[in-house]
Amino acid sequence: MKVTIDNQEIYVKEGITILDAAQEHNIYIPHLCSHLELSPYGGCRLCIIEVEGMKGYPTACTTKVEDKMVIRTHTKTLQQMRREILQLILSEHPSACLICDEQEECSSFQQTIRKVGATTGCRWCPKDGDCELQKVVDYLEIDKITFPVYYRQLPIENHEPFYDRDYNLCIYCARCVRICEEHRKSSVISLRQRGRFSTIGPAFNMSHIDAGCEFCGACVSVCPTGALSEKGRKWGGIPDSYNASICPLCDLNCDIQVLMKKGKVIGTLPPGDPHQSGGELCVKGRFCLTHIINSPDRLKEPEYLFDEGIGIVSWDEAVKQAGKMLKDVNGKRVAVYLSPNLTLEEILAAKLFFKDIINTSNITSSILNSNLISYISLSEESISLKEIEKSDCIISVFLNGNYNYAPLTLSIKQKAEKGTPYFQIGWIKDTTSRYAYQQIIPFPGREKTFFNKIAQSIENADNSSPEIKELVKKIKISSNPIFILGPDIMGLTEADGILKIIKKIITLTGSKIFLTNPYSNLIGLLSLIDTKSNEEINELISQKKIDLLYIIGDNPFQKRPPVNSIICQSPFPAPDYLNADLALPSAMWGEISGSFADIKGNIKKFKAVTNPPGKAIQNNEIFDRINKEIGKKDIKFTYKGISKLIPKKLEMRFPFVKRKPLKAKISPPNTSFPLLLIQEKNPHIFYNISLSNNIRDMREIVTEDAIIMNPTDALKMEIQNGDSIFVKSDIYEKIYPIIVRKIIPQNFLLLITSSRTFDFNPNPCPVHIRRNNV
Amino acid sequence: MEDLNIKIKEIFRNFSNDPGNLIPILQKVQKELGYISLPAIEEISCFLKLTESEIYGVASFYSQFRFNPRGRHSITVCLGTACHVRGGSILMEAFERDLEIKTGECTLDKRFDLDGVACLGCCALAPVVKIDNDIYGNMSVIKLKETLEPYE
Repeated sequence: MKVTIDNQEIYVKEGITILDAAQEHNIYIPHLCSHLELSPYGGCRLCIIEVEGMKGYPTACTTKVEDKMVIRTHTKTLQQMRREILQLILSEHPSACLICDEQEECSSFQQTIRKVGATTGCRWCPKDGDCELQKVVDYLEIDKITFPVYYRQLPIENHEPFYDRDYNLCIYCARCVRICEEHRKSSVISLRQRGRFSTIGPAFNMSHIDAGCEFCGACVSVCPTGALSEKGRKWGGIPDSYNASICPLCDLNCDIQVLMKKGKVIGTLPPGDPHQSGGELCVKGRFCLTHIINSPDRLKEPEYLFDEGIGIVSWDEAVKQAGKMLKDVNGKRVAVYLSPNLTLEEILAAKLFFKDIINTSNITSSILNSNLISYISLSEESISLKEIEKSDCIISVFLNGNYNYAPLTLSIKQKAEKGTPYFQIGWIKDTTSRYAYQQIIPFPGREKTFFNKIAQSIENADNSSPEIKELVKKIKISSNPIFILGPDIMGLTEADGILKIIKKIITLTGSKIFLTNPYSNLIGLLSLIDTKSNEEINELISQKKIDLLYIIGDNPFQKRPPVNSIICQSPFPAPDYLNADLALPSAMWGEISGSFADIKGNIKKFKAVTNPPGKAIQNNEIFDRINKEIGKKDIKFTYKGISKLIPKKLEMRFPFVKRKPLKAKISPPNTSFPLLLIQEKNPHIFYNISLSNNIRDMREIVTEDAIIMNPTDALKMEIQNGDSIFVKSDIYEKIYPIIVRKIIPQNFLLLITSSRTFDFNPNPCPVHIRRNNV
Repeated sequence: MEDLNIKIKEIFRNFSNDPGNLIPILQKVQKELGYISLPAIEEISCFLKLTESEIYGVASFYSQFRFNPRGRHSITVCLGTACHVRGGSILMEAFERDLEIKTGECTLDKRFDLDGVACLGCCALAPVVKIDNDIYGNMSVIKLKETLEPYE
């Protein structure tokens, strides 16, 4: 199709807008509300153009190209009209800086050394220098605003986590509202009221957390002004470079780009144009990574436990001590804990080091318990994320998509919106619940029976509940049903039994399965090393058959186990109660190059972008140094040497587990214990720390060791947010603070624990609560 | 609470869950319950599979919907051109200050609710205030207290 733009003949595809056509051929038409990932809106009116034969001045972003169109984009009238429109926008946007006479000299006078504080230059917009509005003002050469200036005097909203909102700077392009609705399918915010009273936010001034915000940061990315700004790098300025990497915070290992300034990580964004990409990251990849890598709590120097207490030592001394400890001990009496966040290269180096040099086979990870093994062994039938697109019936089982697995929940929402039946089995209301054809809550305390009924109903249609009948009917008529399993299932006491039934259901119906797990490289760990289960090692420790514990980035204990010595090697300090004899600081994601494996055994590589803090060094180098000290064999553990040894395709091997019969009896709630307490391990764990514990903003959205309660229940019992309550089961009781949130249905309580074991047994557990009046 | 659920479920019976029914549902809810409350929006949100923010965004665009319950007596202050010239907005401010509420809200004791209106059609009497169905012309801030007194 041929069109003429500004006397230039160009050929374009059919059906695209004039703005897109012009952009393809590097013809700039000013615009503020139009965005690559969003449908045309026509809000800012800056992209007005003249088209021969068309009445008035249509907007380029909403008008489609037609054959032989003659378009003019930069006539005098247009520019004059654009100036008027932009001045109208600026009359409500603090803009003294944009039209200031001293603008050019400003930067040279900004920093002055004086004894008293003086304002030299106004620097109050976090988007300064990176602002789309500024660019348009420069382009249209606006030097004065003829309209009376109106300041909206809206309070700055900075009491919620991760990003600040100053709607005085907002120009109402509604990009944030649209990206939340169109791209993220969340619709947490909307344009409220109308005319000059318009504001942006959730219903009834609710907090974003209560409105179901995922804190994915898409709105912050697309905001053309400084109205929305990331707390972490609000005044950070423009980054020096953008480096491609992958996110290490769950097994989806999303592609990201890392923003660097002066050698430091200042932010992370989804891949693509930093101003044009809403992206598909979750809160962890978008906001938490920067906090973790720059955490002030990082372990920066080797620490040794002297008789007098912990002291900082040099690397030479630390390596000497490690060598001494390892030389003195029989290899069979060494146990090793590896974190599932280690890269393949680190895991392979650890394997060579501990199997060949130390001669131990006691290698495990704190997460490798029997439930996890039954869960992850289902992965044989697992599919990749892309294949969800082909499914025609989706069933999620105990998947908690809040602040997690954004690409997965997004594809569920997209599929469900297009009409694919989506069933959500589980208690927790998450971001996908709104799209569910049906949310099925298993009868409290009878979860295993519930899945059994589904299996029975598939085998021979019987008189089960209407919900199950509907579910089975939909599975049977679909040709490609997919079960998506969430890691919460592993925490259930009956997990093993439930997983066996699910496996049966899958074989019966010919379904596919998609497993999620919160560990970036669990698959790599299970593929490269013959591990033992956590239970087996724990038994060895309790039988006093272990003298030395070598813990790499893991946090397996609640108190110091009965062993002679403990060596901890991690980017973060070992917990105090462990009393580690030697703590070695290692580098983490961002500071090392490496690779992770996904559920299908495919390898994804990433590169180092910065240097480790203080004296921390790479795990591989630590092995190398200790190996030289012990002087046993001439093996190189460096990244280069190791990376050649990694097999192209990985296959998992599972540790052997002995299953003990269930001790705890599962029972439904009754009159004396009317509520059902669900316990969930905090899935937001990285190395030996929890994100909730380490990042203040994360603590606000995922609070550990607090009970989450439904607002209706809270109203009935006259309990308020922040109250402390006694939770009592038939054998245990404890005091917890309360958080009132809608994510949990009535008559249920949710507890996200920081510990590895649950306080209440079994899980879920019938309890009763009362206010703690002390 | 339960009462509200039953009333709203009754309203839903006449509608399909097509999002296009949002405005008729909102109108019906307002007619039955007097105003659009947060629990009502939550119920509509479950029924139409829209988020609460989307519903509130639509509802707050139209001046016909109110989000606060009515009081026993409704005060309407005219803010039309003639009334504006003769101090309608000053009257409004006086009411807001006196009753300690803002436009669209209801006093804590549920005695009065306060609203503005574009024109009541009796500009000769400007500034005009309407309380329930009684019209008070040539109002002034001084007369405010004695005017409100008879309404309990």
